[in-house]
Amino acid sequence: MFNRINVLALLIALIATPALAQDYVIKVNGIVCEFCSLGVTKKISKLPFIDHSRYNKGVRVEIEDQMVTIAVKEEAELDKNALFGAIESGGYNPVDIWLLTPEGERVDYQP
Amino acid sequence: MLLVSSSVYAHQPVMDMAPRWSEGYGFQTRIEQFDSKTTTWVEGVYTFKPSVRLTFKLPHTDGEMGNLILGVPLKKYVNEGPKTSNWGITPSVKLPTGTGNEGDWDLGLSVSYSAETPSFYQFYDLYAWDDRVGLDVNVGFAFPGKGSGLFALWDVSVLSSNQGDRIQTGPVFVYFKKNLMFRAEHKTLVYERDSDWSGSYFSVAVGLVY
Repeated sequence: MFNRINVLALLIALIATPALAQDYVIKVNGIVCEFCSLGVTKKISKLPFIDHSRYNKGVRVEIEDQMVTIAVKEEAELDKNALFGAIESGGYNPVDIWLLTPEGERVDYQP
Repeated sequence: MLLVSSSVYAHQPVMDMAPRWSEGYGFQTRIEQFDSKTTTWVEGVYTFKPSVRLTFKLPHTDGEMGNLILGVPLKKYVNEGPKTSNWGITPSVKLPTGTGNEGDWDLGLSVSYSAETPSFYQFYDLYAWDDRVGLDVNVGFAFPGKGSGLFALWDVSVLSSNQGDRIQTGPVFVYFKKNLMFRAEHKTLVYERDSDWSGSYFSVAVGLVY
């Protein structure tokens, strides 16, 4: 009985645990206005690994420091080439990328 | 006649900044009033890639359809940290589609430069069209918001043509929210020579980009 309760509790806990967020931060040269962010968001959000449930269609743009944060689906893998290509087709230049830890720290991204 | 051919360079929705993304497109309607005439422009742009666009402009003045103007803005962008700039060259052609008496083909060419930071915007456009040569300058401040933005600019327009020369100047305001934009400008005639233009210039535009 005790084991059944434990197993049940474990299952509930697993189901209730939010998906592990995979966020990345990209430095994008030239993204200086909200219209710039419109085009970049449009292009990035079409990528299949983007989690549309967070941010604005999976993308957050901070034009003050030209940083773009993206949310990647838990079960998906980031395709850096596709991501950088999407930003370039939006008209801007990605120059660096970091993995964002749950604590909000940027760490070097190693594919 | 003057109004139909005065705005020679291919104004795109929201100045020259959108849609900058590949496969983007936009439309805008612009109502322009000058010299006791009102012209309504229907304008559109398609962006093949950030460096190559196609624009069209179709004027309607005093119940008559004007000539269709097609332009191909070619741009070279430079993105440097908190600044983006571009040089552009735009060949244009005016097709004799109008119902009035201006049924000739015309060719135009403009060379432009613009630069933008989160707080400052500048745009310069030197153009030649038929017998006209002109310079248009927009310089001012940007006020970005969340999903929206406002530009407060000052415009100086210089035109030299067979009909005379003139300089107009005045404020330009651009507001956009998401993919909707609004532009209004008012220019006063501060100099004219060998001409009889009258009144000030007023223009309002509403556009959408996708």
